[in-house]
Amino acid sequence: MWNKRRTLVSSALAVTLFGGLLAGCSDNGNGGNGGNAGTTGNAGNGGNKGNAEANGDNAASSNKPVTVKILHNWNGSSAGDVDMTPIAEAIKEKTGVTVQFDYTKGSEVEKVNTIFATQDLPDIYTGPAWGGELDGIVKAAKEDQLVDLAPYLDKYPNLAKEIDKENVPPALYDKAIGAFGDKKYLLYQNQPASDKDALDWLYGFYVRKDIAAKVGVDPQSVHTKDDLYNFLKKIKDAGLQENGLPVIPLGGFHAGWAVGIGNMMFYGSDYIDKGDGTLEHTFMSKQYEEYTLYYRKLISEGLLDQEAFTQTDPIANEKIKQGRIAVLAAHYPAILDASKDYVKAHPGSDYVPVGPLDRAGAEADRPADLAIQGNNVTVITKKNKNVDASLKLLDFLASDEGFKLVHYGIEGVHYDMVDGKPVAKKEMFDKFNADTTGKAKKNEGFGIGFESMSGLDRTVTLGGDIWADQDRIAAMDNARKILRPNGIKVISAYAAGDVLAKSPQYESLKPSMDQITTVWQQAIFTKSDAAALKVINELREQMNKTGYADAIKYVNENLKGKEVVTLQMPN
Amino acid sequence: MFYLFMLPGLVWFFLFSYVPLYGIQVAFRDFQFSGGFSGSPWAGLKYFHQFFDYYQSSRLIRNTILISALKLLIGFMMPIILAVLLNEVRNVKFKKTVQTLSYLPYFVSWVVVVTLMQRLLAQYGGPVNNLLESIGMVKDPIQFLNNTSWFYQMILGSDIWKNIGWNSIIYIAAIAGIDQQQYEAAKIDGAGRFKQIWHVTLPGIRNIAVILFILATGSLMSAGYEQLLLLSGPATASIDSVLDVHVINAGLNEGRLSYAAAVGLFQSVIALVLILTVNRVARKVSDVSLF
Repeated sequence: MWNKRRTLVSSALAVTLFGGLLAGCSDNGNGGNGGNAGTTGNAGNGGNKGNAEANGDNAASSNKPVTVKILHNWNGSSAGDVDMTPIAEAIKEKTGVTVQFDYTKGSEVEKVNTIFATQDLPDIYTGPAWGGELDGIVKAAKEDQLVDLAPYLDKYPNLAKEIDKENVPPALYDKAIGAFGDKKYLLYQNQPASDKDALDWLYGFYVRKDIAAKVGVDPQSVHTKDDLYNFLKKIKDAGLQENGLPVIPLGGFHAGWAVGIGNMMFYGSDYIDKGDGTLEHTFMSKQYEEYTLYYRKLISEGLLDQEAFTQTDPIANEKIKQGRIAVLAAHYPAILDASKDYVKAHPGSDYVPVGPLDRAGAEADRPADLAIQGNNVTVITKKNKNVDASLKLLDFLASDEGFKLVHYGIEGVHYDMVDGKPVAKKEMFDKFNADTTGKAKKNEGFGIGFESMSGLDRTVTLGGDIWADQDRIAAMDNARKILRPNGIKVISAYAAGDVLAKSPQYESLKPSMDQITTVWQQAIFTKSDAAALKVINELREQMNKTGYADAIKYVNENLKGKEVVTLQMPN
Repeated sequence: MFYLFMLPGLVWFFLFSYVPLYGIQVAFRDFQFSGGFSGSPWAGLKYFHQFFDYYQSSRLIRNTILISALKLLIGFMMPIILAVLLNEVRNVKFKKTVQTLSYLPYFVSWVVVVTLMQRLLAQYGGPVNNLLESIGMVKDPIQFLNNTSWFYQMILGSDIWKNIGWNSIIYIAAIAGIDQQQYEAAKIDGAGRFKQIWHVTLPGIRNIAVILFILATGSLMSAGYEQLLLLSGPATASIDSVLDVHVINAGLNEGRLSYAAAVGLFQSVIALVLILTVNRVARKVSDVSLF
């Protein structure tokens, strides 16, 4: 009897375990399907999936409720605490589309490659318009993973405008927009609609005002690379401490962003003129060696944070909030955000610009050369069953009405129109300003991803940044006056890197070129200058072995007679 | 009924160890999103050539083997030592407590372990450096992480700390299976505690140790990607670049899936050869082998 019971219980357990295993497996599958079902639109509406797929394209014209899953491939982007924000609700009312955002935590390049390799595709992808992310999207377009938008563009003028030849930098147009004959796969966003909309992020070195005063250096007296080195050395030698911990002379944010921007003191851009009118990649030049050895010196003398390249943003922010970083290298908005709490608790400790620093190859009166382009591409994947509804959503976001909605909010709720200009409602402004987590803004629908897809940047044209506080505006204006004494010049020339990417050798050369940043970081941590140069030279040899000479020849041939970028500051 | 209990395990192995073998073909194809595993064009040995032409391939292989060998030689001994020591502890409560505490770290993810290390071993403000300074053991704080001089100690130390308890379980079980009469006989023959360990305990777990050693040689070409990915950095790149991390970077960050598959396959083939070789040697030397 006992044995029988035991057998029965054992059998039940085994069946449960096996069932559990199968359920676990099948759940995975359903999870994926569920995602697709949800994204086909009408599943969320309680509708029949088959009908939703069949009728998907009609949804747009009738504003039939549709749910669209968007991958917002920007590392660190996130939603607030509410699923449906007032702005998302307003978008739904206008377009019938409910947006479900998915965010990337980690490498954006990895995400692009993973979604296409595993075919776990969103309905809409939106992400960086450069580097490996863009390469991944162009590859996806070539391999039939995306929807050709050309047949639809007549119906969506705001989208057509985003990829008008005149609104896209020439090399980028050749590489990503016009590279597929009559077909168009990519939408391009956030490029300035006019010169006054051009956004200068004010990349540079910024020092804590109180620390500069303590070491007796006027930040505006720092111009040359030697000045900068001596300034950092003085900070180090002063032996300053915060909460019992030593102050680090120079630091940055995650993974080394953007401590390397001192490169502009050594060379003008990634490709430089060899002196005979032909271009070479800067990595192959003497200037690159000098730049590397300069940073090696900073590392070996403890002037640059040893953890700069391995730290995450939370660790970097912690150091800034503890007051441990004297000079920060990054763009100014990031520095203002990160230092807000510390400055509030320690008045007079604001970060102020260092310099302006001398630029290699640029005359003293030359305006700052900035590549003010769009930063975002958006595509519709082949999994999307509601192409028209998705385009209607994107077209609305790119319209003036959509732009204002996602940047300023709902009129009467978030802002009022005063003398034809949007003005933030005081209670909203105060609420957002008091919230250091940024959640209050996100819960209204700001900064959760819609802005990325809002077409050409018309921030100034349509009314300015109504959410920026006066102190921040004053700080930015002050930094602009110091760092841009000659104003800015928006680059419109060809970027050699985009041309190189079209060379026949690029496939074999790319893996070597992808190593440049990693190898530079390795070089600056070596024990001697000779060892640093050895590390650099090893990669140079590999680049030569994998077709660099032919690739750069291709670049020079194709850019003959064309205006090429040889001076470019980070932006 | 006995076989029914095996079924979930067999299904697991089939799904996660055998089905993925289908994907090996990617190493010999130019993987395309549209073609997938079976529809992409054949590329022959192109990606294997690419790997061996890569100027850092020998360094990657050397680093991988060195780190794995150190883990194998030192990390392999530690659980045996812990198991033997625990077997000698007579206070049951203390023994159980140590046992439990020693295998808790196994369940902590590498992300947490490395974050703990970063906090505890921080050069400035880290408790370990504070302690060393306060008792006068060091004058200046030590940079434990991102430092070639301390890299191997950190890798091995954290690996042993994380796995020693869990890996000792099988030895503790083997020791528990040793006939107590052997200990009594040894005592009658005048053997002390150390002699008993040497002549009874260690021979009692010899077979299981040999089998585990053979299995462990299979991972000689794999140094553990999570730990190395998290503890590596530009300062230690010359000794921390290993095949596992290279595969992840090439496949996911650079989108070179066929290349990554080729390097992964190379690792697996070498691992298979190593297992077969060590198995053969073990059979000849000790009559203990896997098959």
